[in-house]
Amino acid sequence: MKQENIRNFCIIAHIDHGKSTLADRILEQTGAIEKRELKSQMLDSMDIERERGITIKLNAVQLTYQYQREEYYFHLIDTPGHVDFSYEVSRSLAACEGALLVVDATQGVEAQTLANLYLALDNNLTVVPVVNKIDLPSADLPKVEEELENIGFSRDEIIFTSAKTGEGVSSLLRAIIERIPSPKGNLSAPLQALIFDSLFDAYRGVIISIRVMNGEVRVGDVIRMMETGATYEVVGLSINTPKEKSISILKAGEVGYLYASIKSIQDVLVGDTITLDMNPASYPLPGYKPMKPMVYCGFYPIDANKFEDLREALEKLKLNDASLVFEPETSKALGFGFRCGFLGLLHMEIIEERIEREFGIDLIATSPSVVYEVILTDGSKIMVDSPVKMPKRELVSKTLEPYVKTSIFSPSDYIGSIMELCQDKRGTFINMEYLDQKRVMIHYELPLSEIVYDFFDKLKSYTKGYASFDYEVIGYRESNLVKMDILLNGEVVDALSVIVHKDFAYNRGKVVVEKLKEIIPRQMFEVPIQAAIGTHVIARTDIKALRKNVLAKCYGGDVTRKKKLLEKQKEGKKRMKKIGSVEVPQEAFLSILATKE
Amino acid sequence: MNIRSCYIHIPFCKRICSYCDFCKLFYDTGYVSFYLEALKSEIEQYYHGEELDTLYIGGGTPSSLSISELEKMFSILSVLKKSSSCEFTIEVNFDSITEEKIDLFKKSGVNRISFGLETTHPWILEKMGRTLDLDYVRHIISYCKSVGITNINVDLMYAFPDETLQEVEEDIRFILSLDVCHVSTYSLILEEHTKLYLTGVKSIPEELDAKMYELICSMLSDFCHYEISNFARDDSFSKHNLCYWQNKEYYGFGLGASGYIGNVRYSNTRSITHYLQKNYRYEEEKLSSCDKMEYEVILNLRTKWGISKTKFYQIYGKRLLDVYDYSELVTLGYLRECDDFIFIPNKFWYLSNEIIVRLLEVCSYE
Repeated sequence: MKQENIRNFCIIAHIDHGKSTLADRILEQTGAIEKRELKSQMLDSMDIERERGITIKLNAVQLTYQYQREEYYFHLIDTPGHVDFSYEVSRSLAACEGALLVVDATQGVEAQTLANLYLALDNNLTVVPVVNKIDLPSADLPKVEEELENIGFSRDEIIFTSAKTGEGVSSLLRAIIERIPSPKGNLSAPLQALIFDSLFDAYRGVIISIRVMNGEVRVGDVIRMMETGATYEVVGLSINTPKEKSISILKAGEVGYLYASIKSIQDVLVGDTITLDMNPASYPLPGYKPMKPMVYCGFYPIDANKFEDLREALEKLKLNDASLVFEPETSKALGFGFRCGFLGLLHMEIIEERIEREFGIDLIATSPSVVYEVILTDGSKIMVDSPVKMPKRELVSKTLEPYVKTSIFSPSDYIGSIMELCQDKRGTFINMEYLDQKRVMIHYELPLSEIVYDFFDKLKSYTKGYASFDYEVIGYRESNLVKMDILLNGEVVDALSVIVHKDFAYNRGKVVVEKLKEIIPRQMFEVPIQAAIGTHVIARTDIKALRKNVLAKCYGGDVTRKKKLLEKQKEGKKRMKKIGSVEVPQEAFLSILATKE
Repeated sequence: MNIRSCYIHIPFCKRICSYCDFCKLFYDTGYVSFYLEALKSEIEQYYHGEELDTLYIGGGTPSSLSISELEKMFSILSVLKKSSSCEFTIEVNFDSITEEKIDLFKKSGVNRISFGLETTHPWILEKMGRTLDLDYVRHIISYCKSVGITNINVDLMYAFPDETLQEVEEDIRFILSLDVCHVSTYSLILEEHTKLYLTGVKSIPEELDAKMYELICSMLSDFCHYEISNFARDDSFSKHNLCYWQNKEYYGFGLGASGYIGNVRYSNTRSITHYLQKNYRYEEEKLSSCDKMEYEVILNLRTKWGISKTKFYQIYGKRLLDVYDYSELVTLGYLRECDDFIFIPNKFWYLSNEIIVRLLEVCSYE
């Protein structure tokens, strides 16, 4: 395979703009698959991916295409479509020379369209703008053309397609060949191969997706991971066409899979460089960053007996997902569970759903928390990923929290509401760009914890669903953070503790306290519900003591009926969870934990 | 079998009270005679000749029957053997009672009368669908005493929608003025299928209800508060009702009546047609040891004496503590242990369901 005849590219788009359907159509038109074999969205292999319309794990496929009597090899690299996985996206992009930027003809340019475009430009990719779904009656081509012009494309660059009908796909394939440059690796240099994805296979161990930048790798070579230093002997090389095909060598410019009996996914870091142990490259490829979980929460099995099953499920998921971290955690209110770390909220939701669906374990997830940096009075620094781990106030000299830069893309009608929301969320305004007269991109710096809390839901409701948004983490900043506890009858309910900005503690506390009051029935005694920072109570309400629960009248004829009534009450009691001395309806309590408020 | 108690149900009423969900029928002379015939057959079929310590005629309104009907009823009941100290009670309403009927009761061996007073307030009486002449109440009660029936109960209902604490106080004061030896008080229960429930009225707040109860208890402090809703002067407890609360067996005859015999709690049909066709039994609950123990706990804990550990062991062959671990409830103060007895302290009586349910919850039987 000549490097000149190779095209490595990916498809990038805002969520739901038709990326996977377009990929399917490309597969079909290059003859890689017959139409009848084509399950909708061939590249997404997991059920959840197909249902949610998003791509979780990467996939690379080799396609062959005849053009002007030459045979071309396309390597289509699929990328995750969500901000949580932006690092993985950037590594996939680094494996390519070009990108197809897909824009929905009915929706136009959106936040992730831009975020992805910038990522592609950062990686020096040649970008081909594609307007998709042109078959839809609501398609507004002039508008989308104008928007693309506004972000730097010329009108004649744009390719119009309908992935549904296949219209325009052949001109797209020609554009891929004509516009996207071929790889220009040095075949004789020491091996440098970029890891852009990995997958655990029960029989072969970790399977690594690589793009060879320079040099070559063969079956039998001893390879070395430049970041971790781990060495392995290559057992096999292959490429999907999309059926798997074994090969014996991967050369500069090519994309494929490598496996080497690797048992631990910890040795395989996305973004790391593979070289040869005998003849190593002198430096790794640029761009590696360790992936750090940004959002943490507790997972508890609703059925306490399923704790070990949950551990097993997490371990299995971790085989495929190096970014998932977890450790056992105990809660007085919830029993035994795990503190888990995720790249972001979507990542968390996906893992939660997979545990419930694939492993059949009903879970309760505590409210998500970000990782705080706490400088103690003795000058030492600790990272706090759970309110339980927050040191006592008198030991803390300062607290820092992660901030993100958000790009909010919205019709200009909602500028006011968006700015109000961002201000409410402790945001700092950076700037605002008009893409055209009606569409605007607003940049704010916001604490990540606010995003994790309810920012996204609020943004959607403030803008009637018109705004889209994206964010990137920009570092830690000092912030006046406190741990707020919720006390039920004087006892802290650990599962409800949160770390919150001091100015917001009162409102947050009030909401939780009121909600608890709604769900907890009267008890034998008066139950105070308090929100407190340390010993300082900031919100309080009381559940009045139960005054009457009696069968006033009980004579001969009533006896059986009254016993049944008491049995009913007994059944009701079984659905109660005891938190300290207070009985709380299990389901309602879980619903409080489950909501982000 | 050692049955010492018997309940007789007379379902007829001259008017139907708006809150009542007992088994009742409009009074109709024709029906009464057929009914008494069917009652006679039922007793003949099931009664095994035990000597009774208590006999209780309830309703409905037994006093709504005419003199001749009452005479017929008493003659039917004469097959029931009564011990020398038998407590023989009949329920009476003021709007149907006469001196003549009281004379008949006396002659027939009745030695206890339970009067349904319910309230003294005209506006509540009207909503209840009842009538009452307070002077007549005073007169009838003193007449009872004059013929030698001194064991008298008065029923009072409270917590009627919109009723005030003040009104309850006036009711109690009136009852105290009657100088009777027994008072039963009930917080109104809005039962489904009653006229009152169907008009959509709402219960009073539980705080006020509890306050009314506290007021009643304090005003009746000269009485012995021996059961959640019952007060007696000296030792004039209702022996018949104690039979229920002590989980003892009893016959129940008549439309919709319930009984407890051997291992079975049964209820009679509430359909007059079925009853007149002599299809008496409607449903039977066969009791396991566990059920019996539950009844023992539920019923015994209604009284000030509570559960006797010795008696429990004698009946069930197990220690109460081994079946229901009450130690935590004792620590919390919801149950008290005193010599042989476990009981709910007075101040928690109005929350007794909570306590009983917790005790049932810790059952370790089987």
